[in-house]
Amino acid sequence: MEILKYIAKRIIQTIPLLIIVSLISFFIIRLSPVDPLAELKLNPSISPETVEKERQRLGLDKPVIIQYGKWAFSFIKGDLGVTSTGERVSQKLKERIPNTLLLTSIVILLTWLVGVPLGIIAAVKWKTPTDRIMTVLTSIGMAIPSFFFAVLLLLFAVKTGWFPIGGLTSPNFADLSFLGKFADITHHLILPVIVLFTISLAGLQRQMRANMLDVLDSDYVKFARAKGLPESVVIYKHALRNAVNPMITLLGFEFAGLLSGAALTEYVFQYPGLGRLILEAVLKSDINLVMASLMMGAVMLILGNLIADILLIITDPRIRVKS
Amino acid sequence: MIRRVFKVLFVIILTALLLKGCLVKDVPNINNKPSEKQTTDSDWTYTIPKNITINGVDYLQSQAPVGNFGGELINSTIGEGPKTFNPFNCKDNTSQIMSSIMYDGLLTTDPINGKPIPKLAKSYSISPDGKTYTIKLRKGIKWTDGKTITADDVFFTWNDIIFAGFGDTSVRDSLVIDDKLPTVRKIDNYTVEFTTDKPYAPFIRLLSTPIAPKHVFMPAVKKGKEYFDSFLSTNTKPQDFVTSGAFRLKEYVPAQRVVFERNPNYYEINKDNQKLPYLDRLIYLIVGDLNNEVLKFEAKELDVISLQGSKVARYKSLEPHSDFKLYNLGPTTSTMYLSMNLNNRKGKDGKYYVNPIKQKWFQDLNFRNAVDYAVDRKNMVFNIANGIASPLFTPESLNSIYLNKNIKPYDKDLEKSKELLKKSGFYTKKGALYDKDGNRVEFDLYTNAGNTEREAIGVMVKQDLEDLGMKVNFKPIEFNSLVNKLVSTFDWDMVIMGLTGSPLEPNGGKNVWLSDGRLHMFNMRNPQEGKAKILPWEKELDECFTKGALATKFEDRKKYYDRYQEIVYREKPFVYIYSPVVIIAIRNKFKNIYPSSLGGITHNIEEIYIERDK
Amino acid sequence: MIKDIFKQLWNDKFARIALIVLGVIYLALFLADFIAPYTKDFSDRTMAYVPPSKVFTIDENGKLSKPYTYNYIREFDPANLEIKYSLDRSKKHYIKFFSQGQPYKFLGLIPMKRHLFTTDKDGRIFLLGTDINGRDVFSRLLFGGRISMTIGFLALFVLFPIGLLYGGISGYFGGKVDSIMMRFAEAVMSIPSFYLLIILASILPSGMTSTQRFMLIVIILALIGWAGFARVVRGMILSVKNQEYIQAAQSIGASKMRIITKHLLPQTTSFVIVAMTLSVPSYILSESGLSFLGLGIQQPDASWGNMLKEAQEFTNILYRPWLLTPGFLIFVSVLAFNLIGDTIRDILDPKSKVR
Repeated sequence: MEILKYIAKRIIQTIPLLIIVSLISFFIIRLSPVDPLAELKLNPSISPETVEKERQRLGLDKPVIIQYGKWAFSFIKGDLGVTSTGERVSQKLKERIPNTLLLTSIVILLTWLVGVPLGIIAAVKWKTPTDRIMTVLTSIGMAIPSFFFAVLLLLFAVKTGWFPIGGLTSPNFADLSFLGKFADITHHLILPVIVLFTISLAGLQRQMRANMLDVLDSDYVKFARAKGLPESVVIYKHALRNAVNPMITLLGFEFAGLLSGAALTEYVFQYPGLGRLILEAVLKSDINLVMASLMMGAVMLILGNLIADILLIITDPRIRVKS
Repeated sequence: MIRRVFKVLFVIILTALLLKGCLVKDVPNINNKPSEKQTTDSDWTYTIPKNITINGVDYLQSQAPVGNFGGELINSTIGEGPKTFNPFNCKDNTSQIMSSIMYDGLLTTDPINGKPIPKLAKSYSISPDGKTYTIKLRKGIKWTDGKTITADDVFFTWNDIIFAGFGDTSVRDSLVIDDKLPTVRKIDNYTVEFTTDKPYAPFIRLLSTPIAPKHVFMPAVKKGKEYFDSFLSTNTKPQDFVTSGAFRLKEYVPAQRVVFERNPNYYEINKDNQKLPYLDRLIYLIVGDLNNEVLKFEAKELDVISLQGSKVARYKSLEPHSDFKLYNLGPTTSTMYLSMNLNNRKGKDGKYYVNPIKQKWFQDLNFRNAVDYAVDRKNMVFNIANGIASPLFTPESLNSIYLNKNIKPYDKDLEKSKELLKKSGFYTKKGALYDKDGNRVEFDLYTNAGNTEREAIGVMVKQDLEDLGMKVNFKPIEFNSLVNKLVSTFDWDMVIMGLTGSPLEPNGGKNVWLSDGRLHMFNMRNPQEGKAKILPWEKELDECFTKGALATKFEDRKKYYDRYQEIVYREKPFVYIYSPVVIIAIRNKFKNIYPSSLGGITHNIEEIYIERDK
Repeated sequence: MIKDIFKQLWNDKFARIALIVLGVIYLALFLADFIAPYTKDFSDRTMAYVPPSKVFTIDENGKLSKPYTYNYIREFDPANLEIKYSLDRSKKHYIKFFSQGQPYKFLGLIPMKRHLFTTDKDGRIFLLGTDINGRDVFSRLLFGGRISMTIGFLALFVLFPIGLLYGGISGYFGGKVDSIMMRFAEAVMSIPSFYLLIILASILPSGMTSTQRFMLIVIILALIGWAGFARVVRGMILSVKNQEYIQAAQSIGASKMRIITKHLLPQTTSFVIVAMTLSVPSYILSESGLSFLGLGIQQPDASWGNMLKEAQEFTNILYRPWLLTPGFLIFVSVLAFNLIGDTIRDILDPKSKVR
């Protein structure tokens, strides 16, 4: 019951946050001199009447305040509006969300599976060459500009013929058996996953290392050691359980990242995900689409934080007392 | 101790290696034999399909060699993919390509000579006064759902969709002459008649507009315009489409591909009277940029690709020992140009759009000519297009049937530029150019950022003009912002842009050249301004375009359009730079390939087949 | 304290290498005008996409010689539709060190003509080849580096004072002020930063000079980062503000601003240093990503990001690998910054949660 009340309170608190986010985003986008109808205007075979019709349809002839009001009103009603090319925003998002979820969840899973143990090892072996080398290796991954890495990997794919050149499925996807489909998608996912994995590994590894160091330095670990418990028991039974707690907060942030996509990597790999969609929309100033995706990002972040906090309350009795 | 020795050794080896690296021997290489390979152009004699009647059905019979059935061709489209599959609401190029595959029009264009030829229509005739078009339809041909295509569909399409203003109204808007639309009349089940108020030559080209099945579109039209705009969107189930083209939609995967399969009801047959098309499937991959497209072709994920610039050399050298062949289709329909803002009017706020000092320069023909003669087209073609382009001096693309052949090209001539500037009272002091009132000649040059080709042209133009002493601030900006400047706020000095024209119908360029046109960029007027402060040669251009559209004979029209090209050549509202040449690569396994400059390589997609392995 | 950190850094092997690498890079960038044989905008349009000049030290007769190079000539081969480059062996161009070349202003102030190395007037020395406009890639790397390698620092100098002050005020005052200020910061944080970055970059007015554009990009980069930073600072302030010496300062009537700036913020020093070194590389990467999309530094100015844009093209990677050098430099310098940052963190604050 307590928790439910807490959740309700938190949700109410997020409302002003969402309003601020939407206001900031909307006005920044509308400040930009970018004309969403530019392509249409530059196409000689489109008549002026059509351009005018489009302008009215998108409400570009109205002052910004009214545009915002209109947008906010329909947003509350759950209507995300249409893109500048007349497609439904909700439909476009729906097409892309599963693809992005697939990519990001694989990447997050992998980085956690690899990053957390690496972080623990580094902390346990603090100030030894193992620690240093591990930090340097993960740093290398973080230092390559993602788009550049992606371009190089694509080139590798062309030269060896081992991997498909971007995309998510092969042209004959629809005719494949279930296993075939699974293999096809996996085949397509390998390269983008490699890029995103190498880039995000370093951050997680460091975070885990820092947490672990923090715990290893604490009194109860010192006490456990003083008691003469074997080092492995100290580390894996006592320290680890406490070091994971802060990671839950981090998981909340990762949750938010699930749907914001990795724009540059998706762009180079031509991955049909949200990141590329949003990137293209931002470049074209396609306001409804951009607003919908930004709001989605904000909601995801808030939700992620909320979930993390609830998990923390459940796992860590000390916090429950405080709240 | 040992460590020390190692260190010293290491340093010694390193310096030795470094020294070794510095000693590079100069060995003259024996002259490579010049390649003796000659490009042999295969005989590209293509005969257009003929009409033939079998069992009362008016088929179109392919004249190309008979091939095998089966297989697929994978093509690509650049960008975000189609926005809609509604053929009357396509505002972007990709959607248009998709709808032209799915829906045939009454007429189409002969890929070789550019003349209108029958497609869904069996034949057409134009009355001697040039106002009445009689169209005979094929008997017994069917939509994909098995219903017969009749005059009702044609009448409905033109009368209830196009003339009624549904979807994108551009076709309709371009047909309004003196506030009157043409009329359409159903004579019998297989005959339709169009009448225009005045002779209007461009109309015949518009008859290639897709024809819609009445039984499918009727309910949508009844629900009103708003519903119509979202009708047959990209979310519509593929099996709900009723189409007439050689291929029908099988699957659309957003941001990945569009898959078409053969239409078993198609009305074209081969010489053995088997129903075409040969290919089972036609696939368009949606690729984001040119770069990805090339990678996909390289990895054999694509069968056809159009190449430009430096990529051509690679594939040319690979061609002899690989599975594709290159075809040179000549210059494209796209033109690259430099334009100066000739606007000399004030905006609503009472301020000039262009600084009056700069106005004087840009309005001065000598100045514009000086800029023109300073532009180094030869090296631009060389460096930026890797030699795969031709310098351009006219608004009509080089493959246009209306190209004015009398327009003479010339090279960069700085002396001439300087002379022209001097004539108008410009003078140089310490290498900087001043006008006769003592103002430093300095202005902004825009282009759209992110386009490597245009940015590189900008850098070269800037240098060319700085050789004359002008100060050029080169500012690449975001595409959409640039367009906003060009067509809405008019606050620019000089710009590098490109436009795509039609090689068949110069009237498509009227938006650019008519003094109140929507893309009359060099001297853009607000709709409220009408034809304010029209320049004498702008008036002439207006005349060329209005009269050119109303003349009916090709020869008469050519005269007007020759004249317009001369005016542009003389007055330099646009300084044309070059037109890239299209080279297309296609896998060898595809046969019946008859590329043409006007039609491209897949204009006869239904006749293309895959050769079986021997 | 700074000296101490430096000493410890120097004692760490990786950090030492990183320090040397960065030192060399920054020195080269500082002396860019002198080291580069050409100015930033110099171009020889008959020499577009020329491969790196070959420098010879043994002449055709097998004798040792002063280093010299040949120019390239290019020809269009219409049969293969290809541009061919060959050495023009008719004339040797000797390389001269510390001799007169193109005039420039050293650091924009002192007019000079001497370059580290040049060749004679009609000779061309392109150590790393040229780009599409026939500009020397080596020279442009140096000038572009000036932008890419300083943009991160400048952004930090804008961002940190804002973040510190914002976090400090919010943490110190607490209550309503705190919750309003934090809601706003959270709102900024919850807009995915990469998109916010592109949205902001795309509203840059078009009529700007390159310096203005550069400064605005710096500000935009700073706008993205301040909120997260301010939040951490606030947290740290909250934990120290009830300590006795702060209460003492309050009781002697020190002004609030003084307490925040003089007593509270210094508590965060080690966090700030660690955060700074670890965030420089991310700004370098952001700039390159932005320029890659065409929204960052614009032609004809150079930055590593916009130079790398040309390397995106497949044929360029295959046939003109010298265009990839900016990517390599970005990689090396970001790595060096990361290594130094990691070491500093281990020295100052091993448990820091900065990523």
